[in-house]
Amino acid sequence: MSVSTVSKDQFKQFVEALIRSDQRVVGVQQRNDRFVFDDLATADALRLDYDVTILSPRKYILPQKEPLLQFAAGESYTPVHEGAPMVLLGVHPYDMASINQMDQLFSQDEYDSHYMNRRQHITVIACDVVTPSENVFAASMGTATVEKGYDMLLTDIGDAYVVQAATDKGKALTNLMPQARPASEADLDKCRAVQEQNQQKLNQHVLECKPSYLPKLLEKNYEHPVWEEKARLCYSCGSCNQVCPTCYCFDVQDEVNWDLKSGTRYRAWDGCLLEDFATVAGDHNFRKNRSDRFRHRLYRKGKYVPGKIDGQIACVGCGRCITACTSNIANPVDVYNQLMKRTDIG
Amino acid sequence: MSKPRVAIFDFACCEGCQLQIVNIEEEIIDLVGAVDVVEWREAMSEQSHEYDIAIIEGSITRPEDEHRVQIIRTRAKILIALGACATIGGVNKMKNNFDLNEVKRCVYGQDAGMPHLATTTTRAVHEVVDVDYKIHGCPIEGEEFKRIIRDLLLGKTPFVPNYPVCVECKERENVCRYEYNEICLGPIIRAGCGAPCPTAQWRCFGCRGLVDNPNVDAAQEVMEQYNLTLDDLKQKMVLFNSK
Repeated sequence: MSVSTVSKDQFKQFVEALIRSDQRVVGVQQRNDRFVFDDLATADALRLDYDVTILSPRKYILPQKEPLLQFAAGESYTPVHEGAPMVLLGVHPYDMASINQMDQLFSQDEYDSHYMNRRQHITVIACDVVTPSENVFAASMGTATVEKGYDMLLTDIGDAYVVQAATDKGKALTNLMPQARPASEADLDKCRAVQEQNQQKLNQHVLECKPSYLPKLLEKNYEHPVWEEKARLCYSCGSCNQVCPTCYCFDVQDEVNWDLKSGTRYRAWDGCLLEDFATVAGDHNFRKNRSDRFRHRLYRKGKYVPGKIDGQIACVGCGRCITACTSNIANPVDVYNQLMKRTDIG
Repeated sequence: MSKPRVAIFDFACCEGCQLQIVNIEEEIIDLVGAVDVVEWREAMSEQSHEYDIAIIEGSITRPEDEHRVQIIRTRAKILIALGACATIGGVNKMKNNFDLNEVKRCVYGQDAGMPHLATTTTRAVHEVVDVDYKIHGCPIEGEEFKRIIRDLLLGKTPFVPNYPVCVECKERENVCRYEYNEICLGPIIRAGCGAPCPTAQWRCFGCRGLVDNPNVDAAQEVMEQYNLTLDDLKQKMVLFNSK
């Protein structure tokens, strides 16, 4: 790991150089009164002081709709692999944690070459949070800061950024920062102070147990009044799924051309809150009730997915679902804390 | 195998959904390569009583319309309702909120009693005859129309979303209108449009009709959270989703 410091002016020159390079550069920008990840046209448009983006960078890691293969019915098919080089600029630690989880999920068991090929072409420049969003609870989930996954990590220390290049890709990018100087002890102290503060500050909703208790807590509460109490107001609109950085379920659809023979197989985001998500052949729906679907999401985050990735909780505390839910029922902390009140977790 | 014969008919509507078919432009050539269009008043002069697929645009508002659509049903193997007027009754159903005689007087004045102006309660096509497939929207989406036609030609059940507009609205990174204390019909209306109205910072107007299982019971409590009322919501439903 090489750690250096660049002034904010020098950093702007770095971003301009990056935009001029031959790879796609996506960064956080303001849109109306919120922030989004989008293609970056100028360094001035970049807003590393953002609170949270509407959608997470998942939309680049696992696109909303992507071709998997081209086919000619009854004859042949050709897999499609997308993999143009891209830099994702301004990924917050909680989103980095979600990307790390997806990397693990898509590479284990059935190795997903579509995902992994794209992922290998993406360079992630993460940044520590400057402005906490209104619903963030990353501190409760242990994701207010992140230690791995990024190629480069930026920490705003006032008039400069502390830059940690963690991988070869990240180190290569520092070539575009000729004025960077080795970080001083004072810079590193400031950097650590920002991170320590974030571990306290990014906590607008406080989970009343350690995240590692969640699998056990859920195991004891499959039947619990909270599921029905909350789901009563659920529109099954899937907004919580759409904005979630760790939701990775998808649907697969074929689209055929006018020759009625050749076509493309796509996969597109799906969501477990949607009524037809669990409908299978014969129109059998094994999660027909809203409360079953509402419960399923929180079980996925707190129990099922952790079972696949060494106990990591698949909720990173970004708080996007809390903001996105029209009925105000999606807050995972609220549900888990209600379960805590009535459960002896031993 | 001979190509399936398709006939397109219009009832009470603005014919904008047919225009959306015309608007697929060069792909019209692909369409007529895949099917035989035997009747389509807006685009050709030929007529036919023999067809496999009937596409019905518009709602049923007159006694003679009811008779005509019943005959079409007996002739067609597959009947498709095209656009909001056909699939849900659409704006034509606003009429049903008023006394029929009052409506006639308002529109036709002293001629209201003339026999050729006879009108009945507005109905969607499926409220009169069996409908096999629905292509939703006001107007329909050209891309969706093409995909559904190709799927039917393959003998495949076309995918039509049964989830709310919110899914596509969030995909486009819109901020929920309710965050600004504005009514939006998105949470109960069928997606498939790509949420153009909320993306233009309007509300969802509801032109694709309700999802199969809308959470109507939640409405009152949710409206109250935003200092809105059930009546506010109902007023916005009138335009496309009157009974």
